[in-house]
Amino acid sequence: MSNSTLASATPASEISARGGKYLTFALGKEEYGLEILKVREIIGWLDITALPRTPAYVRGVVNLRGQVIVVVDLRSKFEMEATPKTDQTCIIVVEIAHAGRKLSTGIVVDRVSEVLEIPSENIEDPPTFGTSVATDFILGMGKVGDAVKILLDIDKVLDGDAVARIAKDTSGTPVSAN
Amino acid sequence: MSSLAETTERLASAVLLADPHDLAALARLHEYLAVVPQQVAEEAGLAAPLAARMEQTARTASSLVEQIILRDTQDASAALEAVCEGIAQLQQLLGGETLQDDLQKESAPSDTSSPLATAAHDVHVAEEELPKGEDLSLVQDFIGEARGHLESAEASLLKLEEQPEDQELINAVFRAFHTIKGVAGFLNFKQIGQLAHAAESILDGARKRELALTSQVLEMILQSVDMAKAMIRSIEMAVQNHTPVGIQPGLAALLTELRRGATGAAPDAAVSTTAASAPAVETRAAAAPEGNSSAPAGNDATVKVSTGRLDSLINMVGELVIAQAMVNQDLTRLVSGQPRVARNLSHLSKITRELQDLTMAMRMVPIQAVFAKMSRLVRDLARKAGKQIELKLTGGETELDRNLVEALADPLVHMIRNAADHGIELPEDRVRAGKDAMGHVELRASHQAGNIVVEIRDDGRGLNKKRILAKATQAGLIQDGQELSEQDIFRLIFHPGLSTAEKVTDVSGRGVGMDVVRKNVEALRGRIDIASSEGQGSTIAIRLPLTLAVIDGLVVKVGVERYILPITSIEQSLQPKSEQLSTLQSRGEMCMIRGRLLPVCRLHNLFKVKPTTTDACQSLLVLVQDGSRRACLMVDELLGQQQVVIKSLGEITGNLPGVSGGAILGDGTISLILDVPGLIDLMAST
Repeated sequence: MSNSTLASATPASEISARGGKYLTFALGKEEYGLEILKVREIIGWLDITALPRTPAYVRGVVNLRGQVIVVVDLRSKFEMEATPKTDQTCIIVVEIAHAGRKLSTGIVVDRVSEVLEIPSENIEDPPTFGTSVATDFILGMGKVGDAVKILLDIDKVLDGDAVARIAKDTSGTPVSAN
Repeated sequence: MSSLAETTERLASAVLLADPHDLAALARLHEYLAVVPQQVAEEAGLAAPLAARMEQTARTASSLVEQIILRDTQDASAALEAVCEGIAQLQQLLGGETLQDDLQKESAPSDTSSPLATAAHDVHVAEEELPKGEDLSLVQDFIGEARGHLESAEASLLKLEEQPEDQELINAVFRAFHTIKGVAGFLNFKQIGQLAHAAESILDGARKRELALTSQVLEMILQSVDMAKAMIRSIEMAVQNHTPVGIQPGLAALLTELRRGATGAAPDAAVSTTAASAPAVETRAAAAPEGNSSAPAGNDATVKVSTGRLDSLINMVGELVIAQAMVNQDLTRLVSGQPRVARNLSHLSKITRELQDLTMAMRMVPIQAVFAKMSRLVRDLARKAGKQIELKLTGGETELDRNLVEALADPLVHMIRNAADHGIELPEDRVRAGKDAMGHVELRASHQAGNIVVEIRDDGRGLNKKRILAKATQAGLIQDGQELSEQDIFRLIFHPGLSTAEKVTDVSGRGVGMDVVRKNVEALRGRIDIASSEGQGSTIAIRLPLTLAVIDGLVVKVGVERYILPITSIEQSLQPKSEQLSTLQSRGEMCMIRGRLLPVCRLHNLFKVKPTTTDACQSLLVLVQDGSRRACLMVDELLGQQQVVIKSLGEITGNLPGVSGGAILGDGTISLILDVPGLIDLMAST
């Protein structure tokens, strides 16, 4: 424990900026949190249309009252084991910043829990695991009682540019002749 | 601003908006006119004869308005026109502008050659402050409106070159300038007001048949249009940057020229050099619909709506259609015994469908607006280069999404420039080559296979393959001796930094144009094809998908997924017999259909979907075509034909190969619309 706190000395100002309200949800046994201001709405289950030739974590697109939004499977994105859909499976619509604009994207989660106020003193930096576990999209680890909530920096999880590159990465077909 | 000046400005704008049937507007006009005599009396600086004339003008106008209100006049529009003139006079009198002139005009109305007192016309070239607060939105409206008026004036002017006697056209141009003058006066843009006034005076002379619209005069008015456009641009800049409106260079010279022109004197050589040295040029807008370009300036049958609102309307109607379809599906089973309910339901669905058609049509505009600009461009280019070019416009009524029209304008300009500048030869060269001295450029728009196709065809010198290759080798784009197909060679001209023009002119030849064209077209998910034969000319075709259009689609099923194929790209569908099928190296599948051997594409393999069957004889083949290319798409099932609205999948998914968009089906789910050319490309590359 003392190791990890030494390894990541974050300036005080950044730590204090992390306190606030989080929407928490579950993926398997792990509890995650999203900054409440990034969340647009929670919708139940909608039929998802698969997008061909995209990475596996892109589940497809759904029709949200006339607007077409992309849905990303967080389990798959975090390389966790896939589970069948239950009646608690939800899509959380978040707004991510992409190229200076707000873009609505859906994320599939196992279950939505609650909205929690987590003060900044209860938020720690994530421990480092070397290269086996990516932590750069983790805002911090929120301690609520005995439980730990993994607070996500959703902009980094769904790095807009990375998703936008989907087509190029998968197509691999230079169309132009020169 | 003094109160009298304010009143006259208000009058000027009120009369522009007034309609003989709009009682409220007329009443307002009457109200303003009524206070003029009193204000004239209060105005200290007015000379007595001037004051008397103003008062009289106001009273006459006032009684005219009364007559219109009381329907006491035979021709209300003519009376309103007279009121308009009276108010214009009031403005002039107040400005002390042309008092002298006007008095003379009155005594001898036909005498337009009366010396225009240049002193009284002192050209006002100072920076102008922008109006503040609420008026700023008026300025923005003015910018848009003025542009529209200038566009229509330009189109009419080009037609006037052929029919200089056409009163309707002269009137159209006159009205455009008149309206701009009025609003500019109201917003206190003196420069543009003066310009419009000067141009209007010439046109007024022509209207009264006192002045012939020679090509020099028309050239001058065209220059005024350009100048006015430049001014509008600088006003726009000023609005954006919150700076005063700058002085327009060359305005003073043009104004002097215009005023001299109004007196009937020959225009100064300095301004009209281009006109004087130009050979006979003929440009013709073959398919320009009459009503469009010469529409009256104050067309009150249109309402401007922001595209944002339009988009949400279209979205909501789309949702309505879906909701209606769902309700319909749910209820049809229940109401079998109730003909009344069934009838109402079907009536409702008919209404929603019509509503959807209507809203979709609202965004569609004919491509004519862009085409009309090209006539002017070709005309100017021809003059500059000393060429004779006839521009033929076909399919201007082809409708496409408004956004596309705007995005298409730039590439078209580049390509027209290329055709006129590099494609068409000089008249003597053409004659030497055994061709008509008059070069022909054709701009054609049409709907083809679910795409908009815009073709630019010229009968010029065509592309020189050898020279392109030489240049490309020189620039290091290709290796010596590299084998390239004809298309590949032609495509090289889209490479940045490659220009085959021997001389760099001020219009093209810097090797940036075609590169920009390709980028723009690709950004619209379009494609460019070139066909050319040396000495005969070239054809460049731009194909654009209809991003926001309704298309007729065939819904097909592959596994659990449903896809939509544009009907226009489908030739037929069939269930293949095993003797029709053959393979190449036991991989590449082919199907023999009516003597043609066509490649088979298993959609489920391409899109990694689990199909219901992998046996081709159990599934269906849809024969699709893209131009001359054909392929068979293997699907599980055909679900039926349906009209769908293409929805962009959003920028986040970028440009998915083989998919042109999504459509929301009756049950609210999204189905992907397949992009046939993209699919064929994809097949070729995998």
